[in-house]
Amino acid sequence: MTKPLIEIDHLVKKFGDNTVLNDISETINQGDVIVVIGASGGGKSTFLRSLNLLNKPTSGKIAFEGTDITGLSEKELDQVREKMGMVFQQFNLFPNMTVLENIKLAPMKVKNATDAEATAQALALLKQVGLEDKAEAYPASLSGGQMQRVAIARALAMSPDVMLFDEPTSALDPEMVGEVLKVMQDLAKSGMTMIVVTHEMGFAHEVADQVWFMDQGVIAEKGTPEQIFSAPKEERTKDFLSKVLAQ
Amino acid sequence: MKKKWMRWLTALLVLLSFLGFSGINHVQAADDSLQKVKDKGVLVMGTSPDYPPYEFLVNDGGKNTTVGIDISIAKQIAKDMGVKLQIKSMDFDSLLVGLQTGKVDMVISAMTPTRERKQSVDFSELYYTAEQSIIVNKADAKLYKDKDSFVGKKIGVQTGSLQADLAKEQMSSSPQLGLAKYTDLVLALKSHKVEGIVAEEPVALTYVQHDPDLALINGKFTLDPSENGQAIGFAKGATTLVAAANKSIDKIKKQGLIKQYMTEAADKMTTNTTDTSMIHYWKYFAKGIGYTLLITAISVVIGVILGTLLALMRLGKNKLLHALAVAYIEFVRGTPLMIQVMFVYFGLGIFLDIPALLAGIIAVALNSGAYVAEIIRSGIESIPVGQTEAARSLGLSQKQTMQSVVFPQALKNIWPALGNEFISLIKESSIASIIGVTDLIYQLKVVQTATYKGVQPIIVAMVIYFVLTFGLSKILGYFEKRMKHDEATH
Repeated sequence: MTKPLIEIDHLVKKFGDNTVLNDISETINQGDVIVVIGASGGGKSTFLRSLNLLNKPTSGKIAFEGTDITGLSEKELDQVREKMGMVFQQFNLFPNMTVLENIKLAPMKVKNATDAEATAQALALLKQVGLEDKAEAYPASLSGGQMQRVAIARALAMSPDVMLFDEPTSALDPEMVGEVLKVMQDLAKSGMTMIVVTHEMGFAHEVADQVWFMDQGVIAEKGTPEQIFSAPKEERTKDFLSKVLAQ
Repeated sequence: MKKKWMRWLTALLVLLSFLGFSGINHVQAADDSLQKVKDKGVLVMGTSPDYPPYEFLVNDGGKNTTVGIDISIAKQIAKDMGVKLQIKSMDFDSLLVGLQTGKVDMVISAMTPTRERKQSVDFSELYYTAEQSIIVNKADAKLYKDKDSFVGKKIGVQTGSLQADLAKEQMSSSPQLGLAKYTDLVLALKSHKVEGIVAEEPVALTYVQHDPDLALINGKFTLDPSENGQAIGFAKGATTLVAAANKSIDKIKKQGLIKQYMTEAADKMTTNTTDTSMIHYWKYFAKGIGYTLLITAISVVIGVILGTLLALMRLGKNKLLHALAVAYIEFVRGTPLMIQVMFVYFGLGIFLDIPALLAGIIAVALNSGAYVAEIIRSGIESIPVGQTEAARSLGLSQKQTMQSVVFPQALKNIWPALGNEFISLIKESSIASIIGVTDLIYQLKVVQTATYKGVQPIIVAMVIYFVLTFGLSKILGYFEKRMKHDEATH
């Protein structure tokens, strides 16, 4: 049975006079893998960052697991953010900590896990992303692909109910994209709810339950990968896809 | 717009509180100054003990004691009043402020009651009148007869002194070099920066007696009897204290005690100068190092705490706190540390009796806080916003994010700048010497005065400062390396 996890209700985000998100209402169900595509500047990242309130909406509501989170205090928000893992384009690993410490930090600080518990969990996650031998390394000594996999493990350490990916492979050298997408694909198979902003059409095609095409602050078209890639209805979707797939 | 407005308002408030202090001085009640001293049982005297034979320091069994003609006079006055004498040392320039702000009850520091000074304080009658002499290099002694021989030659005077005025009026064709200390003037004379120093006869005599390269000639100045000579300074309106002092002065004059005081002072000076090697004075320098390090260490701790607080206020969302932090930082950075030291000691001293050492520490720490705040702010701002976002998205609170993610990285980035600030604190703490804190610079001047040697104490102090700062910079460098080591595991 599908259960709504995130309900977005008339979401609007303005930066000054510039409307970046223009009245978006959508529902994301538990177990959904949603891939958001669209041209740069279409509001994809802002949309994703609004979901865990890194960007505060100008108006509208976002309900997470049945509770409106737009009116929460910072303290209550911290508890919500635990359940929404986020992976960034620039990895944002903490350079002053080892890989292991990066992963252990939040479970120990926020969930009061003991050092032994956190270490065991971190090592298991590192194994899951194929980096158990890098536990004691500092981020500066890792490749981009390895850093992003650590970032994914770090987010998973909080046992989130949903994972938000903000262009996770855009900053990577082409030969490293595959190893990160592989980890994400495995994660999707395990039943994790995922919202992924990406330009990797192949990944969207293979992994997504739904593809959302964003343009000018709205979800211009959505559907299964087949619908979007084989039979797009909107003119602007066709336009975008022809440009991207031509490359 | 609003931010700017707040900034101005805060600055104005600070200014107003300043003006408030000066207002207090004008409130004069019926004079009970003598009664107050008697009630306290202590007569506090201010003096600048770098002016032998009037007042100078001697090493009395390892302890610094202030002695001289003026001290003997003060003792007599205190005895006549039936109270104890307490001596507070400070810079000559700070003495009158000390009187006005009630830090001291009277000033005896070979001070001439000039018209300008009379406007701000009251004086006793003159207790001594001296001839004015000119110190020259012995080798040149034949070239000069009196003040008129110095046409076109540069002449040295103590800034703000009666001699400076005399030279200006009666040696108008001789350019002047003004310095604060006679020890420095003698150095200038010996290196021919000046050809003569105008000094009061007893002072000139002590220098000539202790230095075979110097000679003394009579200046033959025309002197106004009402303005020439020394008197005791009191706060304006302290008529009962002035009357009591005059009574003692009359007695001292009648009994011819000044002559006796002079002989005593001369004796003390010879015992003081039997061994003028710098090693003999190591205790002075050691004590100076102790105070310099004490001021620096406490100021660093307070400065870092205050600086962190100010930086967080400045970066925070609360507009009032932000404005307060900005106003504080801009104001402190926009005024000289020397004035801040004097403000804390004399200004706040009206409300609270703050000892000089504490006032020095407070001023230096408050000053350092403003600079540290800016360093910390730049450090926090140097951390990419992605670091904060990553931490917050993991559920860390704002405080946890600061503590675990932002601060540790910022500290590493600002460590060199913070180290510079600590090193400059060691040097800047020397300013506290102007209010009589016995730090390294103060001790340097004491040793200069005591030994009649100008250059050697400067070199000793210079080497000590260098060893302190270089040592600290090595220690800081060690920690910097250790922090860098973290990430260099390629």
